[in-house]
Amino acid sequence: MLDAHIVKRRARFVVDAEIRIAAGEACALFGASGAGKSTILACIAGVEAPDAGHVTLDHRTLFPPQLALHRRSIGYLTQVANLFPHLRVGENVRFGLSNGAVATSDAWVAQLQDRLELRAIWDAPAHAISGGQARRVALARMLARRPQLVLLDEPFAGLDRHLVRALLLAIAEWQRALGFTMLIVDHEADVLERLCPRAIAIEDGRIVQDGPWRALYESPATPLLAGLLAPL
Amino acid sequence: MWKRVGASAFALALLYPLAGLLVPIGPWRWGNGSATLDAVRVSLVLTAVAMAVVVAAGTPMALYVTRATPRERIVWQGILLLSVLLPPLALGILISLAFGPHALGALLDRAGLKMANTPLAFVVTQVYVSIGYYVLGAIAALGTVPRSLEAQAALLGADSWAVFRRVTFPLARLGLAVALSLAWVRALTEFGAVIVTAYYPAGMPVAIWTSLENFGLPAVMPLLVVFLAAALPLPWLAHIAAARRATDA
Repeated sequence: MLDAHIVKRRARFVVDAEIRIAAGEACALFGASGAGKSTILACIAGVEAPDAGHVTLDHRTLFPPQLALHRRSIGYLTQVANLFPHLRVGENVRFGLSNGAVATSDAWVAQLQDRLELRAIWDAPAHAISGGQARRVALARMLARRPQLVLLDEPFAGLDRHLVRALLLAIAEWQRALGFTMLIVDHEADVLERLCPRAIAIEDGRIVQDGPWRALYESPATPLLAGLLAPL
Repeated sequence: MWKRVGASAFALALLYPLAGLLVPIGPWRWGNGSATLDAVRVSLVLTAVAMAVVVAAGTPMALYVTRATPRERIVWQGILLLSVLLPPLALGILISLAFGPHALGALLDRAGLKMANTPLAFVVTQVYVSIGYYVLGAIAALGTVPRSLEAQAALLGADSWAVFRRVTFPLARLGLAVALSLAWVRALTEFGAVIVTAYYPAGMPVAIWTSLENFGLPAVMPLLVVFLAAALPLPWLAHIAAARRATDA
């Protein structure tokens, strides 16, 4: 279970949000650009330190004090793939497997390789592949370690529609099969709806609504949220 | 084409002082053959030891400064600049005094460590004259590695050492090689500070000076050639190795 209370001062407002997600649950963090969604994710991941609050994952305290990143079982994927450019694709995917005890297998890596269509580029230098390929490699690298918690920050931004569809299917399947807890940020509701039955709506760093998508559509808590959910 | 001509003209101008080797000053001669070889050995071995200290102490410092807040970084960089701005002769005098019998030298002396005219004094002086150059260069090199990549590596389970070894160092190695080669050249060619703290054992710069004093210009020229031949390969190879690995990656 993820239990997080993030307090973080930003330029325009203070992010102050409490989020609880059951183990194995998939939850969406939804809101307009600049609402503080990515800040919440970065603080839970540990790449930013909250000013106050707490973060626990399956009763393990991640903050405070700030637990070292390598001791967290968290997969964190942003719209920047952050591949290691000096390594090949395969070396990127296997990067996390040699660090500490990781319950994974060659069969699992092979499955990621096949499902994400990485076989053809497996030996290519990471700096020489396309943006869409890099995003697939980053997803494989993150999942190869089988993290307890997966944090996705607009992972599909800028990708072709057919690729987004394939990735959504794959992530949904793996989430069910592996049972990891998942929190996804995006400002496109249709993407999030595919993966998460539950949505948390954020405005200016605060939670304005938390519940199933249907409740958000039927009675949005704020005019801004209603506008974000309205069809074009 | 014209750019290459321009670069060639620049290189010619840069190396023009070497034309001095062709000026007729009478037949070249070895002032003291065995002393020359000793000086080459002293310079290469002790500078290598000094560089090991520079890298071991300077790299963590450079990493720390790179990761510090901008305000703190400015303070550290000022301190590092101060160390490289000191005129070598003045630095040599200050080292002699600071490690002399009225200061730290008394303690070192009791521990059996002599800080005047010994290999230890030679190495300590070389470390002092070169470490600032290495650290400043290393800060610039390490600063080019995106923090997000290091964070990603840590989230993939790599501890601090593994992040440095597997991500930071490979991405910064070309810049670190440049920083190390500058420090190497700075230490190897040091004369002003070393002549104060460690006239013995004589390294190449001091050997060139004593040859000039004792035997005149004809004895200096062959030493210069030996000096260049001995000093150039290591930093050059460091550049080649770093560039090759970067290309492979």
